[in-house]
Amino acid sequence: MKKLAKGRLWFLLAAVLMLLFAAACSSGEEEASGTEDTSGGDSSGEASGGEEGGISGDLEIQYFVGGYGDSWWKEVIADFKEEYPEVNVIEHAGPNINEEMRSRWVSGDPPDVVYIDGAGSSETQMVEDGQLMNLTEWAQEIELENGDKLVDNFIVPPSDYEGEIYSLPLVFDAWGTWYDRAWFEEAGYEVPTDFESFMSSMQEIKEAEGIEPFVTSGQHPYYFLRGMLYPAFGAAGGDELLASLITGEEGAWSSDVVLETMQKVEQMASEGMIDSGLGSLNHTQSQMNFLLHDNAFIPVGFWLPNEMEADVPESFGEYGFIPSPMQDAGEPYAVVPDMRPLAIAENAENPEAAKAFVDFVFTRDYAMLFSEHTGAIMNVSGVDLTQNENVPAYLTEANAMINDPEQVQLYHKPHPMSADLETPIGNALLSLMLGNMTAEEFVEEAEAAAAQYRGN
Amino acid sequence: MRGVIPHSILFIICLMAASSFSIEKSGEMVQSKKQKYLFLAFCLVPTFIMFSIFTLYPLFSGLYYSFFEMSGSSSNKEFIGFDNYIRLFNDDIILDTIIHDYFLVVTKVIGIMIMAMFFAVALTQLKIKEAPFYRIVFFFPNIMSVVVIGILWMFIYNPDLGLVNSGLAFLGLENLQRPWLGSETWALPSLVLPSIWAGIGLFMLMLMGGIANISKSYYEAAEIDGATQWQQFWRVTVPLVWPQIKISILYIVITTLNGSFIIVQVMTGGGPNNATHVMGSYLYQQAFVQFNFGYGATIGVMILVLSLITVMILQFLLRREKVDY
Repeated sequence: MKKLAKGRLWFLLAAVLMLLFAAACSSGEEEASGTEDTSGGDSSGEASGGEEGGISGDLEIQYFVGGYGDSWWKEVIADFKEEYPEVNVIEHAGPNINEEMRSRWVSGDPPDVVYIDGAGSSETQMVEDGQLMNLTEWAQEIELENGDKLVDNFIVPPSDYEGEIYSLPLVFDAWGTWYDRAWFEEAGYEVPTDFESFMSSMQEIKEAEGIEPFVTSGQHPYYFLRGMLYPAFGAAGGDELLASLITGEEGAWSSDVVLETMQKVEQMASEGMIDSGLGSLNHTQSQMNFLLHDNAFIPVGFWLPNEMEADVPESFGEYGFIPSPMQDAGEPYAVVPDMRPLAIAENAENPEAAKAFVDFVFTRDYAMLFSEHTGAIMNVSGVDLTQNENVPAYLTEANAMINDPEQVQLYHKPHPMSADLETPIGNALLSLMLGNMTAEEFVEEAEAAAAQYRGN
Repeated sequence: MRGVIPHSILFIICLMAASSFSIEKSGEMVQSKKQKYLFLAFCLVPTFIMFSIFTLYPLFSGLYYSFFEMSGSSSNKEFIGFDNYIRLFNDDIILDTIIHDYFLVVTKVIGIMIMAMFFAVALTQLKIKEAPFYRIVFFFPNIMSVVVIGILWMFIYNPDLGLVNSGLAFLGLENLQRPWLGSETWALPSLVLPSIWAGIGLFMLMLMGGIANISKSYYEAAEIDGATQWQQFWRVTVPLVWPQIKISILYIVITTLNGSFIIVQVMTGGGPNNATHVMGSYLYQQAFVQFNFGYGATIGVMILVLSLITVMILQFLLRREKVDY
């Protein structure tokens, strides 16, 4: 009997332990989800200024942290807290923040301000879902520090959704083609100025170095789409062509202009200029191969040097940036800016503080600071980067180039391409780059994808 | 995963309570009917509630959402009837994903069962001194996360630095070098190897358990009758471990249909050009990359239906009379 009682005691103990374990598990989960919010805490009492019309309460800001890092955000938010001591800023930030915050958006309890960038985010989708506040009227009221109207001083105007504005483009990024300037100078390789010289330069490098000169991420074919094809389409057919391709207009993808551009890609593939192993490369792997001189050209945005800062091998010389040379001889380079916008949620709980924050961010001082921190450009005109030593050389040069219409022509897309269209087109594009598809087949697939997209 | 833990814990608690109860019963206490039902309710009701919340509710809500058009990133949704199902039947990629899934199922079942059987027989019957060591070595991949395995094998397959291509170069077989995961032809077959490698250990242990239970006298009798090792294997070992073989095959099939998503997502993301998409990874892409959550739910329903049909067919094919010598 004693033995039995002892046995029961053990079972009871085990059961209690199990329950405790289960309880610990569940509370652990809560804690884990709590840590992603790096709460700003309160900074009341410290601030000096800011009797700003009684704006207070919690302000939740969601921002993606990728190639640009988060140091600029930290500084801006700290300044904002000083200016508005009554506002408790709660930051939701990180490289996976779009996924982590998705449930909040689905349940109708979104953060107040969102910076739309990175994997898992789609401005177009958010607008289609009615998640962003219509800023058309309010945007007219925003002023820069010297009283200039913001809407008149954007480098690139906000995305246009049937005449309405739902987001304000914060970061001006431009995709282009990168090369190692020091390496090219030393070996005497030509820096391409148009598609013809691009091909001859690649031919020369291929023969001299025994490498396939061009690489991009095969796991994310949109790097090629945005980095090479958008400029190519812009140069070939202007804003109109870009708009019709991005909205998937009937007949746009199967037009002759597009076919001719895609034949250039086919030529690159068939002449062995494109890395045959790119199918399995994610973006950092392709960037690493570029830095290791396994390849000579790579299309990426301005964030490349910042993102790869810790991984640059000694053999790598100096970053050189040109707009992607896909245009015909005699024409200026084409650049299609890629904007990363700031928006306010339709269901923001504290819209006043959200507006105050958005207003606060758009100044020329913060634009200068942004270039220092990230090596990219904030979408505000009239910022003179040339006098600032902290801004990297490639950026001042690229900036000067972009602002010289003789060298570079700017083209604009109406809004980003929907993932529903970009995914199938990217898949066909990869097949084309791997040499498994012809330009004609690609065009056919792309037209079918656009038809499917229009149908949804 | 969230649902599984409290679920299994409750089950274990009930089992323990039940065993202590029976000990008590055999001792002195006589149990009344009411007590018995109370006890059963105590065991079953919480489990059933958990099961409903974590299994039935998601199952039916998945079915429910498959009739809606929704992006999955907002609460807006629009009832569209069977449109998602019509789209499913007209989607060319769906057929590819099904073929890819069953390609993995077939190659994994064959690969894992042959290797696991071979190792199990070798380690139990060949009287190898280092058997315990090998048992640990072969089981090792099973305690690794599939994500880690995927990343590890990505390095192995790396076109420039990877073990496979450098090995081929070392052997002078440069013409066989390929960008394995980057090739539309070779990417899917390349996923089979890590999947098999990761799966052998568990099934080897299961089969070893089965073989260890076979009485030595059968083999002695067979030997006296002049049966070769090969005949002993087919006539004695296989029939007597058939229940384990059957369970193993079913388990591989189910986990592949539901779980090959992970290795695909980690190693290729479904690419290049959809060459490795399985149903699960395509579901993920539709629901969370292309923002077609409703359509993703429809693909989920398809996976459920196909898994059920496959398991039923397998149950039928693998049925055998229980052998008892």
